[in-house]
Amino acid sequence: MATTVDPQGLDNTYDDASQRTPLVLGGLDYQGVTETACGFWEAEKAPKIWWILLLMAMSLLGILGGLVNHLLMSGVGVWGNNNPAYWGWPIVNFVFWVGIGHAGTLISAILFLFRQNWRTSINRAAEAMTIFAVVCAGMFPGIHIGRVWVFYWLFPIPTEHLAMWPNFRSPLLWDVFAVSTYATVSLLFWYMGMVPDIATFRDRTKSRIGKFIYGLLSLGWTGSARNWHRYEIAYTLLAALATPLVLSVHTIVSFDFAVSQLPGWHTTIFPPYFVAGAIFSGFAMVVTLLVPARALFGLEKLITLRHLENMNKIIMATGLMVGTAYGIEFFIAWYSGVQVESYAFWNRAFGNYSWAYWIMISCNVVIPQLFWFKWCRTTTWFMVIVCIFVNIGMWFERFVITITSLCRDFLPSSWAYFTPTWVDIGMLVCSFGLFSTLFLLFCRFLPVIAMAEVKGIMPRDGHH
Amino acid sequence: MAENNNNNADSKLIGLLAQFDDPESLVAACNHAREAGYKKMDAYSPFPVHGIDPAIGIKRTILPLIVLAAALGAVVVGLGLQIYTNSSALDFLAPFPGYPFQISGKPVFSIPANIPVTFEIIVLTSAITTFLGMWILNRLPMFANPLHRISRFKRVTNDKFFLCLEAKDEKFNRAASETQLNKWGAVAIEEVRQDLTDNDLPKWIPTAAILGAIVLLLPPAAIFSQWGQTNRHPRLHVVPDMDWQHKFKTQTMAPNLANGLDEVDLMYADLRSARRPVDGAVAFGSLDIDSEMNFGIKQDFAHAISSRKSMRTLLVSATDDKTAESSSGDSPALAADATENIDQWVTTFPEGVEVNEKLLARGQQRFNIYCAACHGYAGQGNGLVNQKALALAANGDATWTAARSLHDADVKGDAKNPVGRIYDTITNGRGNMGPYRAQIPVEDRWAIVAYVRALQETGLKTPGVDAATDGEESAEKVDPDAKPKE
Ligand code: HEC
Repeated sequence: MATTVDPQGLDNTYDDASQRTPLVLGGLDYQGVTETACGFWEAEKAPKIWWILLLMAMSLLGILGGLVNHLLMSGVGVWGNNNPAYWGWPIVNFVFWVGIGHAGTLISAILFLFRQNWRTSINRAAEAMTIFAVVCAGMFPGIHIGRVWVFYWLFPIPTEHLAMWPNFRSPLLWDVFAVSTYATVSLLFWYMGMVPDIATFRDRTKSRIGKFIYGLLSLGWTGSARNWHRYEIAYTLLAALATPLVLSVHTIVSFDFAVSQLPGWHTTIFPPYFVAGAIFSGFAMVVTLLVPARALFGLEKLITLRHLENMNKIIMATGLMVGTAYGIEFFIAWYSGVQVESYAFWNRAFGNYSWAYWIMISCNVVIPQLFWFKWCRTTTWFMVIVCIFVNIGMWFERFVITITSLCRDFLPSSWAYFTPTWVDIGMLVCSFGLFSTLFLLFCRFLPVIAMAEVKGIMPRDGHH
Repeated sequence: MAENNNNNADSKLIGLLAQFDDPESLVAACNHAREAGYKKMDAYSPFPVHGIDPAIGIKRTILPLIVLAAALGAVVVGLGLQIYTNSSALDFLAPFPGYPFQISGKPVFSIPANIPVTFEIIVLTSAITTFLGMWILNRLPMFANPLHRISRFKRVTNDKFFLCLEAKDEKFNRAASETQLNKWGAVAIEEVRQDLTDNDLPKWIPTAAILGAIVLLLPPAAIFSQWGQTNRHPRLHVVPDMDWQHKFKTQTMAPNLANGLDEVDLMYADLRSARRPVDGAVAFGSLDIDSEMNFGIKQDFAHAISSRKSMRTLLVSATDDKTAESSSGDSPALAADATENIDQWVTTFPEGVEVNEKLLARGQQRFNIYCAACHGYAGQGNGLVNQKALALAANGDATWTAARSLHDADVKGDAKNPVGRIYDTITNGRGNMGPYRAQIPVEDRWAIVAYVRALQETGLKTPGVDAATDGEESAEKVDPDAKPKE
């Protein structure tokens, strides 16, 4: 099995100008790719560690269910949200998760349009991660609306009862459209990409239930050239649609803040800055997940060090963009000459939330600089640590933006210090349970590697 | 030839399936087949093999055009949706009217603010069209494909490549085609046969469908069975929302009426959910120790008021005979008031009330609201309510005491009706006229009194209708009921 392969032989991070760097290692041919990619799925019994992880994830998920129930029964007062910080952790968590949900579509759509072939081994898992992150993200504003049972008021559905429509000039409404469109399109993209691989599962599975379910899901796919022709064009179209979409989603999320007039929110830099931050945190999450996943599922030959290194480079690049944005915010705060704006940023860095600010700076700006060193970029356990820091930092970025600005609103008499409740903390922690449960189930029951795509970029003779 | 599950007499030959081991040989074979004149064929591969489209003559799909059309449609729908819902421009089209939000005077429809949603709708529509369009053009899902019955074909999703020459093709000949395929480098060749006996639905499907339909029909049937029925129980409340809260509402008898009145868990012995003020307590803003201001009664006669246990009891009309009788038992002062002492009323406005134009304007406005309905705008006693009630009374449909004209000799003048008494009339009512103390605050009552006095002093003319400036009207008799100019 691939897990026993000496990792030293799997280093493809050195460039040799005379030949194309192989993206599939270990001399795998088409059959080999199929078998490696299906290995974990085909295993009769999942390894113990998978069960342990699943159990942990599902326990957290159970607690999350309890917490949401508690919230629905008692009202949003169980959170720390209060005057003046009406947007507390739920919105911080929303932006955090939706940001993470950007990497998948970025990898599958933008890198596809740029013909970055290395995306093929990682795009499936990244897309799945995207969808699961969007599920977590969607939950928070969903329960944040207070009366969840009338959630459909968010959508333009005529109701005699309410007798009014949503306000289409409000960024919060744009957000409803952006996030639900994003979730739908990501799901379509993910599923469509998966159909040929589900067909592989259908043709390999031995269980009757598997044959039925995978048979149904693969829609009778035969791999006919006529089908592939339309399929590829449709895939390109979806990629071309998803690219502006993914950029628009975090842009619109940033509008939630930027279109309001609160000092520290009302800035034009927000859209690009948020998008860069989203890609930053999304890639960090992909690396965090894929490093253990490739070891656990024996995918080192497909998800190679080079893939991870490329992602780390993107993390560093986007980290620098985010760092630049932090700097520019300060510059503008000073350069604008607006007293309240200057105060908002001075307060972020040196006020009573400075601890959060400096956690953010160290995690997002300082620590990723380690990726300048090749050893840091190519050592798996080390990059996971860096990426975890990045995600901590990105959570704090949203915390800093949301909370510091709200706690210093226009009316000094209402200034306050936000304190989360145990429900806030529990929901953040347990949302990882929801995410991990979905991801673990995905790894076991659906194709983690886009086999058809990987085979498509292999040298024509099927091996090297 | 390898195993073929359904190779029997009841099957029809559909084509020949040739296997190749790498994409190059597949493309080469496709080229050969096209050159040999085959038109109805298809290649199958685990991944898209480039260069195969021209080899088997695949024309470019029209999918992008379909998506473009859908996207353009989405522009119209997206903008239309926003114009319709956020303005009243398209109300004539739909049963639900639009809802224009008035926010800081911004236009209800402005392209920049409506771009994000339009964009998302375009992307959503295009993506769904792409997705569905691709599957429809590909004729998928199709689960009953004879190819899936060939076990060798299972490797098409793994590592093998196939070319299928269809029997429908003019060029197709069972033996000759097989020879050709062999010549083009096929590793293996199999017949594709369609099983003609296996076209029936599995037996369980109709039964399951009927059962499913019945189960699905149960809820609507249950709902319709209740159609037009009356029910004594309150409506089913799926989500309680904020309807039941842990608090006692005012005017309720007990914490929970459902427990029955005999239960011991009633809050207080008097059954009320709220406490009454302690005797002598003065509610905020209701201190009424200034007898002139609050009662229109001169200081000298104030003992009649202040001797009472509670100021509030005085609010029972001092001159209403019935009230006087009923309350004379516990309140001797009231009994004394029953025979009205005309001297007790103040004849000038109390100290806190300064009669000026502002007060008169306020008084006019309040009078028009509270009094004109009966007494008429000019106080002639012919307000609309009065007219209507008199008409009804004339038919014997109602009994009605006519509102008095405020210009009546009895009502006019300090001798018969000093300001204090008019004030008292408003506060406590008089005769058949009801009290207005609950509706009109003290200051406003005095403003009305001032205005009533002004009306009386100026005769029938309503102050504000200036005869000199209003040429036409001044020629005629001034309509006493005309609403005064504001
Ligand atoms: C619902 C109709 C109605 C309204 C409204 C109404 N009144 Fe009267 N008012 C009457 C009637 C009826 C009488 C005659 C009562 C009687 O003689 O029994 C009357 C009598 C009077 C009198 C003469 C009392 C007397 O005999 O000395 C005055 C003064 C008076 N109203 C003032 C007002 C003022 C000021 C208002 C506005 C606050 C007002 N009314 C509102 C119906 C009304």
